[in-house]
Amino acid sequence: MNVVVCVKQIPDPADPGALEEDHTLKRDGKLILDESDSYGVEMALQLADAAGGGDVTLVSMAPNNETSGLRTALAMGAAKAVLVSDDALSGAGALDTAKVLAAAIKRVEGADLILAATESSDGYTGTVPEQIAAVLDLPSVTFAKHVEVADGTVKVQRQTESGFDECEAPLPALVSVTAGVVEPRYPSFKGIMAAKSKPVDQVTVADLGLDPSAVGWAGAGQEIVDVSPAPERQAGEVIEDEGDAHQKIVEFLDGLKVL
Amino acid sequence: MRFAFTEDQLGFRDAVRSMLDKECPAEVVRAAWPDDGTGAGARAEPAAVAAVWARLADIGVLGVAVPEAAGGLGLAELDWVLLAEEAGYAAVPHPFVETVAVAAPLLASAGAPTGGGRSLAGIVGGTVRIAAALTPGHDGRAVPYAARADGVLVHARSTGAVHLLGPDEAGVHSVRTVDGAIDAADLTDRRCHDGNVVTAAPALVDQAFDRGALGAAAQLLGLARHMLDLTVGYVVERRQFGVPVGSFQAVKHHLADALVHLELARPAVHRAAYSAAVGSPNRARDVSMAKAMASDAARLVGAKALQCHGAIGYTVEYDLHLYLKRAWALAATWGTAAWHRDRVGRAMGI
Repeated sequence: MNVVVCVKQIPDPADPGALEEDHTLKRDGKLILDESDSYGVEMALQLADAAGGGDVTLVSMAPNNETSGLRTALAMGAAKAVLVSDDALSGAGALDTAKVLAAAIKRVEGADLILAATESSDGYTGTVPEQIAAVLDLPSVTFAKHVEVADGTVKVQRQTESGFDECEAPLPALVSVTAGVVEPRYPSFKGIMAAKSKPVDQVTVADLGLDPSAVGWAGAGQEIVDVSPAPERQAGEVIEDEGDAHQKIVEFLDGLKVL
Repeated sequence: MRFAFTEDQLGFRDAVRSMLDKECPAEVVRAAWPDDGTGAGARAEPAAVAAVWARLADIGVLGVAVPEAAGGLGLAELDWVLLAEEAGYAAVPHPFVETVAVAAPLLASAGAPTGGGRSLAGIVGGTVRIAAALTPGHDGRAVPYAARADGVLVHARSTGAVHLLGPDEAGVHSVRTVDGAIDAADLTDRRCHDGNVVTAAPALVDQAFDRGALGAAAQLLGLARHMLDLTVGYVVERRQFGVPVGSFQAVKHHLADALVHLELARPAVHRAAYSAAVGSPNRARDVSMAKAMASDAARLVGAKALQCHGAIGYTVEYDLHLYLKRAWALAATWGTAAWHRDRVGRAMGI
């Protein structure tokens, strides 16, 4: 079974960069594999293994032909990658990204299943996987906490607030997986050395048959007008115990839906 | 000529760093301490301590210096020096340097003894851990990890040959040292005989010791970097008189001094790794320079870290002591700074 995994290469969250003048995140340094995507990579490797063979192909969009994060996923065991890198993509929003990734996925022959994380750790729009499915006209299942493939069907336990739903979709399909769907393996030294020689198909927007003037800032239907820091965390609420403190604590926890 | 680390070497370092970051946080180091309050604070499950070694085996670190024919990667000092630094940073509570950097290549080049469940395959697979007491004149006391290692490398007092003793042959007697995570033991017996000799070749014996001292120096760099990171994090967060204490000049000066010593020691350690990897005639001198400078740097960084933390740095519930005590223990093993300075002096003919 051939599985495509959408992966994002992001600035290291431990060393967050500054913003560009146009309010987008600086991405000119070394980028790393978004940890939330390592779950999809591991899931894909396990599904291909369980099916008795097949390739895991990575699809990514990043500036400056950046491959550092892809190498990490290749070191985990993915076979090859398609990387879309093009200055025209600067300022791309979620829908642009979905169109580009969908076109890149079409370059991968015989993809039975497409996996993605639920959202990236630097953008958090959480919409790209479903948009890719819509562009490709594929069924999609989101928030998978367990994935199985059998007889041309993907069976998913879909995380909900109160538990999980059992979903099925015919292949090919797109599934977005949650952190914790599987435990990602650590890249081995032999995997790291092997990753250097694995093929990375580097393409531009034009190579994908898309119009460069329809993506990025040029084709943007949106503009970032202002960025402000997140508000500092406020001091907690102090409850004076007048015999009803326990009730207030229960109400507070109930409000957080942890009870 | 390019003296920087290769992409592979940095890739291996990053892989080990991110793995240890997740698998060997302070709670795991603390879980390796005896459960008697001396290492108090948040502890991981005891199984998490063993899991660190298993993960190191999974990703292929334990065979880094084992020949490819024996299932390893056949790499040398320049390839593992950064890994030893990461093991130091995480204060891995296992004989990493002793097993990976000393025992494995020594057993491979000496070719014996590989029986008795202490084989190279066992090292690569993570089932065998080896302690070592190879410092010239070592009296067999307080050998780190000897209490739970599968074997101990020692010098025979009469011949100078290196032997690999099982715990029973070594007369292992558990003792408490300043670092509760290293399960040290006195070797009360040391039954060295032809059946457990590894090598009597002086070149191999000297090389094994130098690898251990180099590995200890690299671990000390990592420990010093960790203590400095902890301290910088603390002084940025801790506020007094309405500002972070790190904004006070006296605190900044301490931390700048610490960083200068650490950064001066680092190239000496990398130089020693280079000399060892290329078989330089100056290997012993360079390793001694590295161990002396790294020991001094780690002690100084530790002292500054403790002072900048104030009272909380003295508590066993806070993490600093886990790294500080490991640094003290390592500075005192594989030759003290004074012993190594003396060896540098002799190498220079003074």
